[in-house]
Amino acid sequence: MPALEVKNVTKFYGGFAALNGVNLQVEAGEIRALIGPNGAGKSTLIDVISGRARKWTGQVHLFDRNISQLRASQRRLIGLSRSFQRTSIFPNLTVRAQLRLAAQRVGGGDTESLLEEFGLATLADYAGGAIAYGDQRRLDLALALIGRPSVLLLDEPAAGLTFEESKHLAQRLRSLAQRWNVTVLLVEHDMEVVFSIADKITVLQLGAVLAEGSPDEIRRDRSVVEAYLGSAA
Amino acid sequence: MAIQLLNGLVYGALLFTVASGLALMFGLRRIVNFAHGSLYMLGAYIGYSASAVFGFWGGLIAAGACLALVGLLLDSVVFRPLQRRDPLTTLLVTFGLALIAEDLVLTIWGKDTLSFAAPSELAANWSLFGASFPVYRLAMIGFGAVAALGLFLWLRLSRVGLFVRAASQDPVIAAVQGINTDRVSALVVAISASLAGVSGVVAAPLLSLAPNMAGDILVDSFIVVVVGGLGSIGGAFVTAIVLGQINVLGVVFMPELTSLLPFLLMIAVLVWKPAGLAGERV
Amino acid sequence: MSVLRLSGWAGLAAIGPLVAWLTPSLLTQSLVAQATFLAIFALGVGLLLRQNGMVSFGHAAFFGLPGYMLGALLPLKLMPVELLICTAVLLTAGAAFVIGLVIVRAHGIAFGMLTLAVGQAVYEAATRMRGLTGGNDGLSLRLPPHLFGLSMKTFQQPGGMLIVSWLVMVTVLALVSVLGASRLGVLTEAIRDNEERARFLGYRTLLPRATMFAISAAVTAVGGVLFSLYNAFISPDTVHWTASGSALIMAILGGSGAFWGPVAGAFVYFFVKDLLSGYTAHWLSIIGMALIVTTVAFPAGLAGVVPWMRKLIESRQGEDPVASA
Repeated sequence: MPALEVKNVTKFYGGFAALNGVNLQVEAGEIRALIGPNGAGKSTLIDVISGRARKWTGQVHLFDRNISQLRASQRRLIGLSRSFQRTSIFPNLTVRAQLRLAAQRVGGGDTESLLEEFGLATLADYAGGAIAYGDQRRLDLALALIGRPSVLLLDEPAAGLTFEESKHLAQRLRSLAQRWNVTVLLVEHDMEVVFSIADKITVLQLGAVLAEGSPDEIRRDRSVVEAYLGSAA
Repeated sequence: MAIQLLNGLVYGALLFTVASGLALMFGLRRIVNFAHGSLYMLGAYIGYSASAVFGFWGGLIAAGACLALVGLLLDSVVFRPLQRRDPLTTLLVTFGLALIAEDLVLTIWGKDTLSFAAPSELAANWSLFGASFPVYRLAMIGFGAVAALGLFLWLRLSRVGLFVRAASQDPVIAAVQGINTDRVSALVVAISASLAGVSGVVAAPLLSLAPNMAGDILVDSFIVVVVGGLGSIGGAFVTAIVLGQINVLGVVFMPELTSLLPFLLMIAVLVWKPAGLAGERV
Repeated sequence: MSVLRLSGWAGLAAIGPLVAWLTPSLLTQSLVAQATFLAIFALGVGLLLRQNGMVSFGHAAFFGLPGYMLGALLPLKLMPVELLICTAVLLTAGAAFVIGLVIVRAHGIAFGMLTLAVGQAVYEAATRMRGLTGGNDGLSLRLPPHLFGLSMKTFQQPGGMLIVSWLVMVTVLALVSVLGASRLGVLTEAIRDNEERARFLGYRTLLPRATMFAISAAVTAVGGVLFSLYNAFISPDTVHWTASGSALIMAILGGSGAFWGPVAGAFVYFFVKDLLSGYTAHWLSIIGMALIVTTVAFPAGLAGVVPWMRKLIESRQGEDPVASA
């Protein structure tokens, strides 16, 4: 049984089909990268799966359970978590308070150890809005990871990060996924990150799946190279 | 019955002319002008004093002109400097201004209710639908209709009107297109204020003048703007007419609940459609 | 809670009775008592502002409703007065909760307008339903001879009411500060900061905010009860939107950032207004200007003066303010 299954999802914005009959299956413990040119529908798909998007057709299943009708908050409580493309944290709460708030809801354990775990201990008493951008991204990710979700959706986690930070992030994600057996679906433009940690890659174009396969297969796939990768591969 | 409908139209027309300015200002600058009722009031009082010297029509013109100036001042001193801030700040500042305006009126004109005579040309009564109906009230409906038509034509057909609509949709993009949004805004606020002020004079023979007139019209105007769709003139028009009818017919059929109806309407509409009936459009 | 803190609270609580004891002037006592009613009113408004980030232009409805309930129900002798008072506050809070479930969905300006609508609806009902509310003439409260074991005279005399209302105010203040640090308090602040992220952390965002709205209404209602008991009278003026506006101004002048801000704002507003109306008829303009200046230049209000001064002192001493925070 796949950890995450997307069945025939279609979403229209007016007359424009952002997603057009997308089918996707991610196995438990897999790290799947979702790539594609801008406007392919990647973020929209994440929005549909996480419960942020309304008015779409199709189904989303989490370990055989149809979660299509569940609210975003409900999905989080059953183990489906996400981070945001535009860093989404609480600017006026301290880092500690935010982590505690998240932990209290999903049984994430003791706040002090969480601070250690995510490398935020030195920033604990600073307001979310007062810390550096890279730290904010880390906090955003931490908030999504608290409570050991079974499926994690990441929307461009490396956006705005330096080369070093991206490498760090990739390592982190890989080790966490292995340790906790988290299934990860990540949308990313940074091919370094994608090719370093993805077990499998799905390529989206104009709202539909263009290709799917291992990183090597994708690199060699003609249609993908033409449509998107170009010289980045 | 027909007379009741006409009476409803009178208030509806008045409400529209006042609320349309509020709607325009919100559409353009996302401003909730708590001092809008004060503009209406100031216009009425200025018109009252001016008419003592220049007659009703002179008073009308004086009110319109003075309030246009007040509008320009308001835009340059308050709205433009504060536009980058939280909209709540502007709301609170206009609230403060409303208090100052009330004090001004109390100081200059006192707290007693003042009456204002309709112009002699319109003081007659006509026989309509078997009853006697004041011509002045018909003129009020006419005023509202002219204002509505004028606004509609201006927004749809004129170049500036197009700019206003464009800037209401997206001030940033409009500015990039080379529209001087500051000047458009100043114009819109001046027109809104002037319209409110003239409405005050027009309403005065019917509703009299008192320092609390600002608050009364303000609440109803807010209902019109919020229900009609913040920034939408068409929505404001429909809502104003409906509200006018509710006010008048309600008194006939269920007097106890009448005053509650506008608020219940507002709550009901906002729950169903948080952006108002017409949504955020001009 | 530390001993220092407890004694701080005790000291604060003692101020009321001390003032009552030391001031021979009935007028001063009456003024301070009235100021405390408004302070509690403003506390409710400020609570909503701080926790939910929402501005209410209709809270006067919650201030006056208990009074009207008492006025209407006291003659019926349905239950002991003490119970009736508690019921009135709870019913007001309950009504606020239900209303809140509906209107809290709206954001910013729309919410403000909805509260204005609710407030004015109550005002209109108060003026129109003459049979129930006495209309514009208002309603007298037929109070019993005893209340909570004390003679009713205690509540109607300036000195007695001052002590009672001051103690109630300090209690409410303490409860509000506890609420702020509580889970609901932190949650509502988080929702205010970033509602979407709170949802994606697994939280329902409608219920906490509606609950906080109801609590702010309950706080205001408590002030309203004291007000009604003191005057033994309630009228539509009490629930007019200008009354709501005044409470809002108090909360903003005082600064909603600190839980005690609205209280300070209320006292300053009340006494300045009282002082000024003796000298000038223009206190409306002065309040208006104070509101404008505070909103534009000192958004943190009076409550912002303390941290501002602290920063000033620290920078004068040459210390790094961040390190010593």
